[in-house]
Amino acid sequence: MNSGSCNGCDIEIIAALTPRYDAERFGIKLVGSPRHADVIAFTGPVTDDMADKVKRIYEQTPDPKVILVVGACGISGGVFHESYHLSGPIEKILPEAKCIYVPGCPPRPEAIIYGVVKAWEFLEGVEKK
Amino acid sequence: MLPMLSQLLKQMMKKPFTNLFPAKYAPKNVRGYLKNVQEGKTKIIPPVGIPDEETFRGKIVYDREKCIGCKMCIRVCPAKAIEFKEEEKKIRIYIGRCIFCSQCNDVCPVDALHMSNEFLLADANKASENLIVE
Repeated sequence: MNSGSCNGCDIEIIAALTPRYDAERFGIKLVGSPRHADVIAFTGPVTDDMADKVKRIYEQTPDPKVILVVGACGISGGVFHESYHLSGPIEKILPEAKCIYVPGCPPRPEAIIYGVVKAWEFLEGVEKK
Repeated sequence: MLPMLSQLLKQMMKKPFTNLFPAKYAPKNVRGYLKNVQEGKTKIIPPVGIPDEETFRGKIVYDREKCIGCKMCIRVCPAKAIEFKEEEKKIRIYIGRCIFCSQCNDVCPVDALHMSNEFLLADANKASENLIVE
């Protein structure tokens, strides 16, 4: 989900799904609706307009869920950190969510896949419990 | 027909273009796999090589001894990712906010900052040791 990002991170996420990196061989699949998802990839520094949508999408996703925060913006605001139109980074809007942070501006596709592996590791732990 | 045949044979000999990072197929047990990797039993297939090792901008490396505390990097940082520690006159860099622009690295008068080739930085905790450079 794009919450006001510059599209750089979105392009890198798409690159991670292309045949060059091919995240789909692990069974990582894009789904059409948050109701079918296990992991939500968030990019961008949540603008005021997007804050309630971010919350809604998070609530629509079934448990157990992990948020993959891609890019410096979602982690801490990045270059937009003191903007007048921000509701703050994702952490501020979803304080109880389990996040995996992927720093970079934008991160390389491998870095995103590495983040997915970390998210997977966490979900596996939840499954065991 | 003939030109096509040569092309076909070439294609059959070629390896797939896909980079198989971090493993060829999803392991049945990711935790077990990562444990094996840590113990050295299996190896992670390396990611695509970085284009140019000289100019690649990865995680910042900070040389504490060289730093003179001139605050030039703090002034130039567009994301304000660098914090000044008053008592020690040294800096602290938050990688979670860093945008890897390398401006601090260029402006530093004593070459205390460098960009490394490390870019696999995902972490569950943004205040972890991995994401703060001191």
